[in-house]
Amino acid sequence: MSNEDDVPSLDEPERIRKRRNVFSYVALLPAAVLVLGLMVLPIGETMYHSFTNWDGVTSKFIGLTNFNLIFHDAIIRQVFVNSLIFLISVPLILAASLVTAVLVYEKVLGWRVFRFLFFIPMVLSPVIVGVLFSTFFLPGGAVDQILKPLGLGNFSWLGNPWAARWVVILALVWASFGFGMVVILSAMATVDVALYDAAAIDGASWWRRLRSITIPMISGSLQFLSVINVIYTFTSLFAFVFVITAGGPGFATTTVDYYTYITTFENGQFGYGAALALLLFLIVLTLTIAQVKLFPNREVQQGS
Amino acid sequence: MKSRLSRGLVFTALSLVGVSTVYPLIFMALNSMRTAQAFEVNPFALPTHWSLSSYSALFSQVPFLQSILHSLFVVVPAVILATFASSLAAFVFTKVPIKLGNVLFWTMLMIMFMPGIVVLLPLYVEVARTGLANNFAPAILIYTAINIPYGTYLLRSNFRAIPNSVVEAARVDGASWIKVYWRVILPIGKPGMITVGILTFLNIWNDLFISLVLLHAPNTEMVTPTLAQLSGKFTSDIPVLMAGLLLGALPTLLLYAVTARVFIRGMLSGAVR
Repeated sequence: MSNEDDVPSLDEPERIRKRRNVFSYVALLPAAVLVLGLMVLPIGETMYHSFTNWDGVTSKFIGLTNFNLIFHDAIIRQVFVNSLIFLISVPLILAASLVTAVLVYEKVLGWRVFRFLFFIPMVLSPVIVGVLFSTFFLPGGAVDQILKPLGLGNFSWLGNPWAARWVVILALVWASFGFGMVVILSAMATVDVALYDAAAIDGASWWRRLRSITIPMISGSLQFLSVINVIYTFTSLFAFVFVITAGGPGFATTTVDYYTYITTFENGQFGYGAALALLLFLIVLTLTIAQVKLFPNREVQQGS
Repeated sequence: MKSRLSRGLVFTALSLVGVSTVYPLIFMALNSMRTAQAFEVNPFALPTHWSLSSYSALFSQVPFLQSILHSLFVVVPAVILATFASSLAAFVFTKVPIKLGNVLFWTMLMIMFMPGIVVLLPLYVEVARTGLANNFAPAILIYTAINIPYGTYLLRSNFRAIPNSVVEAARVDGASWIKVYWRVILPIGKPGMITVGILTFLNIWNDLFISLVLLHAPNTEMVTPTLAQLSGKFTSDIPVLMAGLLLGALPTLLLYAVTARVFIRGMLSGAVR
């Protein structure tokens, strides 16, 4: 895939080519050792142990028993449904990212300051964002205080399944739109300004230009963001859920990684946890492959 | 969008979003200096008399400053190692391609978004078995490894933008590959590497999962698990909680504020895709 980058020409002396190979392998060594030893090997171990009744110390091969249990576990079904529900956040993040990017692109007074400010949620830990949002939604907390004049009493936001989910989604959207905005802005920067000028001369309205020029030109970035955010919904909600709801009420906000955490690190069922982790890995792998296959030309698009 | 009215509308909309991203910080700062009783009455009021007692309560009841030090102790070496290893790998992938390199690159690409729990199950067991639980070294190496794929991916597209002719010219002049990396790639790729370094810092500093699992003893606990447990300890004393959140956010906020110019430019250049 990177043949065009093959710098040394074919007729270079054998001696130099050998030296190039020695250098390449030495240079790749740190990354290779760490990635193979601490990621690839453990993935293999997780795969193997998903077919065992591993408790962290001993393990016995039990075939597909773990997977059989998983597919008959009502909680797991709930957990996967939760992940699907949390996908609501994806279009919301996309919309928020697009709106803020388009507004920043107008370059009104202070737009650089706004761009600076919109990044702030992105540099905060999900733990901080999560704890903050959960205090907002405590009974009698900030949100209840705002709603008091409207005649709404104290509402147990985090005790209601749907309200709790929306709090998690809200925190996730707030924390994520900055990244989406950047990706969209960097795509918009590659759009030829002449296109807008030509459209303006033809009398196209601002909306018309947004719909007919901007959005088609950045559609690649929008698709990229969709896939990335779908992946994040499956892999990155752990911290939010841990601090906002601890998976509750009941299992209403428990995600796959959070449930895997509970089964292994709190209940000690490592084999079962390994099977769950493997399922999660397969989902994410499928999405990653889809991402790579859908956008093979990413680097070309982003120019240089 | 030329009219004064529409620009005013855009400005207003931006201001509203800006308030939403800044107000939480102000909320934390103001309430950290109030009393729990005052907060109960009205979370939005200004402090009537400024008090830092929440901060002293935080420091006396939780080893908070130590947890910040623990985080720095893990994050700084991991960021340096990950950025360095990623840049070397990205250099080979773009400028010195070899057969096996592609296999490694695709492996990294496939596991780039992998949920941490997949590797952490066996790693946790391994770490516990070898008596290295609550030891910083495994945490540093695991954080390094987990951040290499994305770092390599980003730096690869970054280094691709460096013309091959520059590398070739250096080679013709007799520079060794190490010299090309050190004297050509690093200086030109510096903004990209800084961006990747900052992203890696944010990733590790802000992570909860790995630190929670690997470093759970009080004398090794990092800042995110400490913060996560604060909310349980101080549900009735929100000002202390706010003090903790603000201090926990300060390092990343400072890093962002100081590097914003380079960081934003790096992100906008398409470095994140």
